[in-house]
Amino acid sequence: MLPLLGSNRQPTFISQIPNPDRRDSPKMDIDPLPNGGPAAAVAAAAVAATNAPSSKLSRLAESLKLEHQLTRVPFEHLKKSMRANHRVVEKEVSAVVSAVSDAANAPGEDDAVDRLSSLVSRLQGLKRKLEEGSRTEHLQAQRCRARLDHLESADPENLSEWSNTRLKRIVVDYMLRMSYYDTAAKLAESTNIQDLVDIDVFLEAKKVIDALQNKEVGPALAWCTENKSRLKKSKSIFEFQLRLQEFVELVRAENSMRAITYARKYLAPWGSTHMKELQRVMATLAFRSNTECATYKVLFETKQWDFLVDQFRQEFCRLYGMTFEPLLNIYLQAGLSALKTPFCTEDGCTKEDPLSQECFRKLAMPLPFSKQHHSKLVCYITKELMDTENPPLVLPNGYVYSTKALEEMAKKNNGKIICPRTNFGCDYSDLVKAYIS
Amino acid sequence: MDVNPIKDAFDRVAKKQKLSYSKTQEVIDQIFQEISDTIEKIQNTHKSDSRSDYKALLADLKTKIKEMAPLTLLEGTQKELNVALSKYPKLLEKSFNPDISKAYRNVDLDTATVNYIIASHFYRQGLFDVGDCFVTEAMEPESIASIRSPYVEMYQILEAMKSRNLEPALKWATSNSSKLKANGSDLEVKLHRMQYVEILQSGIRDEALSYARIHLARFAADHFAEIQKLMGCLLWAGKLELSPYPDLLYPANWDKLAEELTRQFCSLLGQSFESPLGVTVAAGVQALPPLLKFMNVMWGKKQEWQSMKQLPVPVELDDEFQFHSIFVCPVSKEQATDDNPPWLMPCGHVLCKQSIVKMSKNLSKSFKCPYCPTDIDSGNCKALYF
Ligand SMILES: [Zn+2]
Repeated sequence: MLPLLGSNRQPTFISQIPNPDRRDSPKMDIDPLPNGGPAAAVAAAAVAATNAPSSKLSRLAESLKLEHQLTRVPFEHLKKSMRANHRVVEKEVSAVVSAVSDAANAPGEDDAVDRLSSLVSRLQGLKRKLEEGSRTEHLQAQRCRARLDHLESADPENLSEWSNTRLKRIVVDYMLRMSYYDTAAKLAESTNIQDLVDIDVFLEAKKVIDALQNKEVGPALAWCTENKSRLKKSKSIFEFQLRLQEFVELVRAENSMRAITYARKYLAPWGSTHMKELQRVMATLAFRSNTECATYKVLFETKQWDFLVDQFRQEFCRLYGMTFEPLLNIYLQAGLSALKTPFCTEDGCTKEDPLSQECFRKLAMPLPFSKQHHSKLVCYITKELMDTENPPLVLPNGYVYSTKALEEMAKKNNGKIICPRTNFGCDYSDLVKAYIS
Repeated sequence: MDVNPIKDAFDRVAKKQKLSYSKTQEVIDQIFQEISDTIEKIQNTHKSDSRSDYKALLADLKTKIKEMAPLTLLEGTQKELNVALSKYPKLLEKSFNPDISKAYRNVDLDTATVNYIIASHFYRQGLFDVGDCFVTEAMEPESIASIRSPYVEMYQILEAMKSRNLEPALKWATSNSSKLKANGSDLEVKLHRMQYVEILQSGIRDEALSYARIHLARFAADHFAEIQKLMGCLLWAGKLELSPYPDLLYPANWDKLAEELTRQFCSLLGQSFESPLGVTVAAGVQALPPLLKFMNVMWGKKQEWQSMKQLPVPVELDDEFQFHSIFVCPVSKEQATDDNPPWLMPCGHVLCKQSIVKMSKNLSKSFKCPYCPTDIDSGNCKALYF
């Protein structure tokens, strides 16, 4: 007998509660058919006992490695605050230093004292700001730690609860990316996972997105300035795209003179690297907004603004070390593929299979089917796995069911077996064992 | 996964952050002090009437601050901090999978469908407030109303059970009696038993007896031994803990009963017991690591990945995700299909048809089973249906 279909079967977090379709099997009067004698069974059980926890642990470790975003985003947020706070200090201090120089030219003593006093209060203000900034940074650092603690808290004992939290985190992430902010906040609050989700980070994005949807580029440009060095590093052209759009709006408003001034000031600097786009958009001056020429017409379409929103989302995600797709979509896609078999659409498909549902099938349609290494047989009757402890038996018509199911049937019907799929009848003694490797 | 090195690295960042903060404070304090001192000096010279020049004091201040070089100091602390700030994300990228979207196929998941799935999930988990909020924010309420109301009923029943009130549960079970029976569930008798035990333990023996007569007697045919036992308990009314069956009082019985009720309720609704969203995401968590490993190896062939009909690598999920029989031929390693079904050989071993066809030279010769010494005549093989 070759190994072991599912003999290292351990209840895990989902299956702690068995399927509704899996009926409880009462105690057998018929002796279970042994497989390779009791010694083999004991050995198999021992292997199962030693294998299962370690494979569970490695599964867990693998799953934690998927949590880059969980740790990265709050750190990027913290870093951003630190940089911003530092910039404020630098700016203020340098202003104070040059004001001190200027004070030397004060026309009179009183004036000099006045100037210096105002610098003193300016510095006091700066100190307050610094403290305030430090408090924010402290909270953000705490959040970074909370995420690490949360990762550390995952172990096989509390896996069920931990996985539930993970699902909620993933759903909140989806809400935030889809701009369902109220639901995101409500779900996080009602399940007390605020420290594990990035609502405040996304609210920053919301300002920009809302403005772009209202056809305003101001907040987006301000965001570009805030993140100038990082955007430059990633060779982002988002600011250029915003400028192009503003230019197009001036053309639309038939404000040619202003458009030209604008182009000189804001578009020209990009000329050396993006001459083609620049020329294309400059040409709109000649064609105007009612042009029928496809190349230029598209520039005036409102979907350009949707494109900018999309572009912003990408830049935003990149900056924070997030995936561009919502986490939910990534996990759903992987899960659907792994669950997708040609049998999901058959009549006997159990309701516990998500792919028995129309909406899940719809999502799975463009995805690949699963691939498995090893045979795993599920009894049609009990929906339990058939393994060495519950081996498959073959009816003369070739249909296969688990020993447990057939024993129970035989017990109830004086040794008679009726195939539930074909109504074929036979005796329990007609059954033969199949060895599945 | 060992989180400690990451925690240590973060502590180093935090330490540098603190250092930078206190240094910055120092710089500001110093400038503050110098300016305040100068103000004082100017005012003092005024009082003492020694007509020393305020301009000289201002020039002094200017020199001092220039010597202090506050901007250079600030830059220095920032540089130190920056080293720590750039190291940490590198460690994160090394410790984690930095981009889990690498195995994402570029197809749009239909938003309306995903939203419908999420809303159903909220309701089935009893998160009605969140669900309602989501529906208002993201969906057409009509599309989901029929999902909501049955779960409202289910959670009302479960809430009542939490406060040891079985009335709503019994009412539901009674009105669905035949369906439950068809499902092979004895939930109804379990509920009545629980109710009987509650009455009995409150010490009212007569009431317990009459409850048993009305509600339990009709289950006697199928649950004879059980009912005998329950009737025996009448001797221990009010002190069941002393009876031979103290397990009847275990609080866990209530949890089990609630679970059984949930299971049956979902089943009669035509729904699964587990949230399908939860199951799919949990399967995704298990499937992603091998998929990502694969994508890292064949990153150049991203195009092929977008059009594959089957996952390029085997993905073993835990047994709880196994909803269908999968037969993998031990010889060809291919999954059985309708065209290539599993065949049972007379020795009891099973291979795929194509493997047998190959080994028997197109069914013309006998061959040796690869797993035992039996000679196989392909004419004696037959197809299996799992
Ligand atoms: Zn054989």
